[in-house]
Amino acid sequence: MKEYLISASEEALARHCMEEALKNGASGVRVNLSKSLMDLVGILNGEVDRVSHSLDRSLQLSLFVDGRFGTFSSNRLEKENLDQFIQKAVETVRMLEEDPLRSLPAPERVAHDAVSGNELELYSPSYEAMDSARRREIALESCVWEHRHEMEKGFSVLSEECEYSDSVYDVLMLDSNGLEARHRETSFEIGCETTIQDEGGRLYESYWWDASTALEKLSWKDCGVKALRRAAAQMNPGDIPGGRYNMIVDTECASKLLTPLLTALGGYSLQQNNSFLAGSLGKQLFPTFLNILDRPHDKGCSGSRLFDSEGVATKEDFVIKDGVVSKYFLSTYMARKMNMEPTVDDCTRAVVEPIGNCDTLESLLREVGDGILVTGFNGGNSNSATGNFSYGIEGFLIKDGKRVRPLRGMLITGDFPALWNKLFLTAADARPCMTKQIPSLAFHDVDFSS
Amino acid sequence: MIHPKEYYTAIFGVDRPELRSLVSRAMRRGGSYCDIFFENTSYGSLSLRDGAVTSGGSHQDFGVGIRVLDGEKTGYAYSESTNPALMADCADAAAAIASGTATDVSPYGTRRPSRGEPNPAADRYPEKQGWREASMHFFLPFLQKLEQSIRSKDKRVVKVIANLAFQNSDYLMYNSFDELKWDSRPMGTVAVQVVFSQDGKYENQSASRSWRCGAEMLTDSLIEELSSEAVGRVDERFAARRPAGGKMKVVMGAGASGILLHEAMGHAFEADFNRKGTSVFADKMGKRVCPEGIFIVDDGTIPGNRGSLNYDDEGVPGQKTYMVEDGILTSYLHDRISAAHYGVAPTGNGRRESFRYAPIPRMRATYMESGVACPDSLIKEAGNGIYVDQFSNGQVKIGEGDFTFFVKSGFLIEDGRLTMPVKDINIIGNGPEALKDIIAVGNDLKIDQGAWTCGKEQSVPVSCGIPSVLIKNLTVGGA
Repeated sequence: MKEYLISASEEALARHCMEEALKNGASGVRVNLSKSLMDLVGILNGEVDRVSHSLDRSLQLSLFVDGRFGTFSSNRLEKENLDQFIQKAVETVRMLEEDPLRSLPAPERVAHDAVSGNELELYSPSYEAMDSARRREIALESCVWEHRHEMEKGFSVLSEECEYSDSVYDVLMLDSNGLEARHRETSFEIGCETTIQDEGGRLYESYWWDASTALEKLSWKDCGVKALRRAAAQMNPGDIPGGRYNMIVDTECASKLLTPLLTALGGYSLQQNNSFLAGSLGKQLFPTFLNILDRPHDKGCSGSRLFDSEGVATKEDFVIKDGVVSKYFLSTYMARKMNMEPTVDDCTRAVVEPIGNCDTLESLLREVGDGILVTGFNGGNSNSATGNFSYGIEGFLIKDGKRVRPLRGMLITGDFPALWNKLFLTAADARPCMTKQIPSLAFHDVDFSS
Repeated sequence: MIHPKEYYTAIFGVDRPELRSLVSRAMRRGGSYCDIFFENTSYGSLSLRDGAVTSGGSHQDFGVGIRVLDGEKTGYAYSESTNPALMADCADAAAAIASGTATDVSPYGTRRPSRGEPNPAADRYPEKQGWREASMHFFLPFLQKLEQSIRSKDKRVVKVIANLAFQNSDYLMYNSFDELKWDSRPMGTVAVQVVFSQDGKYENQSASRSWRCGAEMLTDSLIEELSSEAVGRVDERFAARRPAGGKMKVVMGAGASGILLHEAMGHAFEADFNRKGTSVFADKMGKRVCPEGIFIVDDGTIPGNRGSLNYDDEGVPGQKTYMVEDGILTSYLHDRISAAHYGVAPTGNGRRESFRYAPIPRMRATYMESGVACPDSLIKEAGNGIYVDQFSNGQVKIGEGDFTFFVKSGFLIEDGRLTMPVKDINIIGNGPEALKDIIAVGNDLKIDQGAWTCGKEQSVPVSCGIPSVLIKNLTVGGA
């Protein structure tokens, strides 16, 4: 038996907990038993600097008692401890105020096809062959430290930190309405971070990373090289006068602009009048060529999942269709509070459909011509009620489709609905390792200040 | 809270001979140092939404982490059980960082073992009413009264979310110096978020308080303080505009704007970044980093403060550390690894989120000490610029020192007076340059009591503070 997967006895314990909660007076119970194992090797300047090994188990309970609701968890999975814990938990829920809108999702809404946990092919057998020697080998192969002098032109490498990790995650969700759903996933990740110093003594840092559910799809050998190149590309930055420019946002950081939209479409924001997209369902708020989908069922893709945090079955769906807001993310509870139909509690795997015929960032830059390429955001925030934002950016001035110079110390400001209405082109370069599939995005007339 | 030793050995089911044996096992391949960190944490929470306390819960977290250091290299493993066989497995996994034999163990760092037992009389966070013993029945009325107080203060309130979170953590720490330390840390946090509506527009404000103390913190005066802060400046929020951007003088208001000091300077003083040469302050020890008269402190000794510690997570006594004295950089913030690297004593900054993590240098309560200037005189001296008293988000690049902070509230300064409220703008600059550009420091140090959490690799509770400070040249991103 593989120690890192939920065993038959642990599954029996989860069922026992559900029965115990019902026995103590709960009218509805959801049990979420999870188990994960992660191994990590860290390299500092070409030498092994850290190794770690971690095995986690956790049992979470959502209890519905006398029209009241509470959530509880423990990693002390001895039966005697759990029995006492559950008894106290039920007593605690009874002290809360009544909330008739709380309930488990209806049985017909929950996932029925998450049986083995590997229906989405996210568990890779290659995980079982991993050992500490192989992990060290991969981590060391990702580094460029030994060959750094060959790349040092006008700078020296001060530090290189690389980290390889692999993990397996296994979760079983049960509820007292009959839900039984399993999800199992492996993950292989590599990340390198490099700090360089130019001849004037100024420091620059950058990173590169990759991740996959299968080792054979992980690219690690060029990770250190890419991090170093990205750091070197930032040397001798400056700023340019503020004004309105075309903005191209690299796929690497584009989620910064999409995540606030998805949050604003979530029940927690909408129900609290804390969403700049309140009342937007069914309305044409964005350009007709903008399509954003939730695609939770793509096999082998990071982020795919057959059920949400309530066990509700996910499905492929439009979030924005032809520019029209097509979906709110409403849990059972939030939907009842808002007197609407429930959906799922969050966007599982957002996909922005490419616009135009540019495959790569480089072809997108050529097509746009002049503007500012944003390769990273440094600080800033947005106002969830108004949609106003202000972010620090770093990137490059673009002339005739080419990077002319690195930029620092600049800001973009605006509001999200207006910004997305300025979208006019994208690449088709979303990286498979990302759970949100957002290509590089091109906007016109964005306010930059410096 | 510091209980008798037996309280902890009973919870974790270990005694000193077993701990010695475990350390021997972990260091059988050599190494320089080993420590074992036991944790027993219970959390509780209650949430009020839409006028009722309709969700709550409790959580248990229990386990032990074993760390082996081989010089500056770390082997780490943890178990969620103190079963001897599972702890032995952890010791074996952590031992993998070393590749020698037990005889390869070498003296580690500037060995300054503190052999004394924890002293309950020196406890920095005694609880008068323990969270574990207090009843939910006591907590519900507090949140209900808090909501009523908020709604009674402003008719524009449309939504109130109020949360109470509390925890108690018991720790037992043993290391290869044969030091055994123990501690229990309470924490209580109340946070409110309020949404207002005016003329079809919505705005939100929030307020929080967090201390290492027991349930005695839940008083009527806390309700008044939080509700006043949550609604107090909503007129300004609706009236606030984005100002024109550009480079200008900035007055940082006393208190919460100390988060800029934490992010833009404090992280760069953490010794792990400097040991690796990746901090902008890596070659600045003993050098002037800001004008004379400025003292910057990281303090773990403030009674009841969210960042205070009787012992850090390496068993080093909590202490007050001056990083900058009279403008000169005099100390980094050290854990045991960096202290050994620099040949100094650890400063009690070795902290971790839980037993699942190895400790790293982290801040506690970071602040600048008061200067001599009257706060109003700073605004006059600025002439034209921006006054900022709350930031809602910030980010810094440790190597370059570049920072960007989102201004939650502030004012324009025109002709030496506060005029139009401003919001939703960023201030950007460079940490070392901003330190050098300080023109004057007010005499009004305020340590903010909000629920600050630092997220450098791991989440740990901290606090921050600053007196009013005038900086001559920062970039403000405006309309």
